[in-house]
Amino acid sequence: MVGSPVFLIAIPLLAAFLIPLLGMVWKELVRIVPGLVLAYLTFLSATLYIDVINSDTIVETIAGWRAPWGIDLVFSPLTGFLSTIMTFMGFIVWLYSYRFKRNVEFEAAKKYFIFLMLLVAASVGIVITGDIFNQFVFIEITGISAYALTAFYTGRNSAEAAFKYLVMGSLSASALLIAIIIVYAQLGTLNMAEIAANIDNMNVEYRIIAMIFFIIGIGVEAEIFPLNGWAPDAYTEAPGPVGGAFAGIVVKAGIYAMVRMMFTLFNISGPMQILIIIGMITLIIAETSALRQDKLKRMLAYSSIGQMGLVLVAFGMGTQAGVFAALFLMLNHAIIKPMLFLSGSYLEFNTKNKYIKEITGMGKKMPVVSAIFVLGALAISGLPPFSGFWSKLSVLTAAADENMILIITLVLIISLVEIVYYFRVINRLFFFDYDLEISVEPHKPGWNGMVALFVLAGIILFIGFYPSSVTGFLDLAARDLMDTHDYINNVLQLGQSIIQ
Amino acid sequence: MKKAIVILMLAVFGYFLAITFLDPQFEAERNRDGVKKFYLDKTVSELKTANTVTAIVVNFRGFDTLGEVTVLFLAATALGSILFKKRHHIGDRTVLLPASAIVGSGAKLIFPAITLLGVYVFVHGHLTPGGGFQGGTIIATGFLLMLIAYRDFSISHNILSVIESLAGIGFVTFGLLGFMNGGTFLQNFLGTGVLNDLLSGGVIPIIYILVGFKVAAELTGLIYTVLHEKG
Repeated sequence: MVGSPVFLIAIPLLAAFLIPLLGMVWKELVRIVPGLVLAYLTFLSATLYIDVINSDTIVETIAGWRAPWGIDLVFSPLTGFLSTIMTFMGFIVWLYSYRFKRNVEFEAAKKYFIFLMLLVAASVGIVITGDIFNQFVFIEITGISAYALTAFYTGRNSAEAAFKYLVMGSLSASALLIAIIIVYAQLGTLNMAEIAANIDNMNVEYRIIAMIFFIIGIGVEAEIFPLNGWAPDAYTEAPGPVGGAFAGIVVKAGIYAMVRMMFTLFNISGPMQILIIIGMITLIIAETSALRQDKLKRMLAYSSIGQMGLVLVAFGMGTQAGVFAALFLMLNHAIIKPMLFLSGSYLEFNTKNKYIKEITGMGKKMPVVSAIFVLGALAISGLPPFSGFWSKLSVLTAAADENMILIITLVLIISLVEIVYYFRVINRLFFFDYDLEISVEPHKPGWNGMVALFVLAGIILFIGFYPSSVTGFLDLAARDLMDTHDYINNVLQLGQSIIQ
Repeated sequence: MKKAIVILMLAVFGYFLAITFLDPQFEAERNRDGVKKFYLDKTVSELKTANTVTAIVVNFRGFDTLGEVTVLFLAATALGSILFKKRHHIGDRTVLLPASAIVGSGAKLIFPAITLLGVYVFVHGHLTPGGGFQGGTIIATGFLLMLIAYRDFSISHNILSVIESLAGIGFVTFGLLGFMNGGTFLQNFLGTGVLNDLLSGGVIPIIYILVGFKVAAELTGLIYTVLHEKG
């Protein structure tokens, strides 16, 4: 027994309060401790996940009050899967940024590591909690860490980006709170399973209004179309690894919250037009915007938004195959997009104004980083034999099963668009001559960053060649999400055996 | 055109808000009881806490409170990085007007009373209305008054940060002790005593006092940071 799910939240919080004290003792501890915590979280999450796969869902009560009355944490094949990816990506991002601002600015570095650790912990909290108000609290923690990280380089642009994010995030948090108030007024409970079991008792008009407010509230973190105005700015202005953390961790939590709300809370089965329509609009607008960007990180940010749209479309099909495809996309995106951000920020670091045209010929100066970037670009646009191919293929087969011709057409056209804008970068990297006029002499990337990039590249190649190694887990997770009845039973009954 | 769309969307938003909140149906006939009755019963019978709100905040939904305390901690830490502009020299104030003699001598007189009231409010959080958040805020207002009245009044940022950290660590530690002694995080593992006694409610008053210290230190730090803009 290495721990229980609550440690996934309690230990990072304890460490966050400890770090200011530790920093007074030895400055290096400020960067070592978050790494140890994230490594422990990854280990704990993976161990618990294996337990859950082999036996049964873990439902943990908090403060000794069972499910409908107290708060509970649900560690199921789905939440365990997501929390394992998130903690692992958190560790990778930490590894990449280990030497960030080292020996330069102590206060800034301390804040950076506290925010990064709490960003990961709160995102995991969003996923494993079984209570809507608790989820709201974790969304707040994630949000505040994210605003602070966006504003990290205290310049004019990052302040603007952070302020935009702050305003949108706070407004959406209010909308989420309104949704929670409506649900509580109607049903008298905040527990997800209890709400799911009683959702039919809720007046239809209030149910619709609550759902609209939920979508507005969660949509900002999930980057759906009208609510994602903050994303390109925030991804561009935040430090490089933070962009990776946003794409790999925070957005996944947002998507999970959205999907849990639709599938479990409101207990909708069958195709969900609203998710498909929102997803399609997000996909089309984001990918066509990505085509027009002349800054690398901005392009990656739009690409990330587009991928999330595709994930929502796949979830919206509402079938086992669709959910499977969506989870596969989330897994791939969680690994590939941070890899693109991390390698991309090395490339971008060596330019003056962060424009794509300035990385011309970088492939000759930084061959390894460029090669990893190319690998990520090929994988995310869905070329075989990389991992992205399998997830896109599963989206297509899931859509074909349901005869959704429009989705198939759209996915194929969008893939073409993706290939165009990624190959534009690849072309500049490798098939142009290096020009010192527009770039600066490249710095050598640190060993820690290279290790992080190689691990991610290895995983992408591995999943690409052996997709069957993950499909079993994805299948279980998809089944877990689809089976609302099982979720309700697990939460409301397992609680009874815990209390005396 | 753009403005018309914005106004239209705001109107739709407002309409939905209006119809929901004109009649939120808090007292509507429902098929189920909800959690209300359970909380009211158990607060008296098991937790022996006179203030139900405190019992809910610290025990039933203590995990949320831990989260909210973290939100405050993050906000205080982030303040320097989001709200910034051209810095003054260290020690200079944003508010440069000197306070009058009345404020100065009045503040000296009231400050101990305000602090005492704050301590009273969070120590009696489980018995009377109020608690850690309220008491901490009251203490912070006392420091605000002193900062306004005296230009050379200063508080060590390190001490505030140590208090803040220790209170946070204490909260999580009591949660973990509950896990070790009772099996669940934040479990009330101490004896609950007699209803309405000062020493009753198990860990509830202890945690609320820690929250009080934390909130007081954090808000004082916030005021100090904004006033001095040191970041």
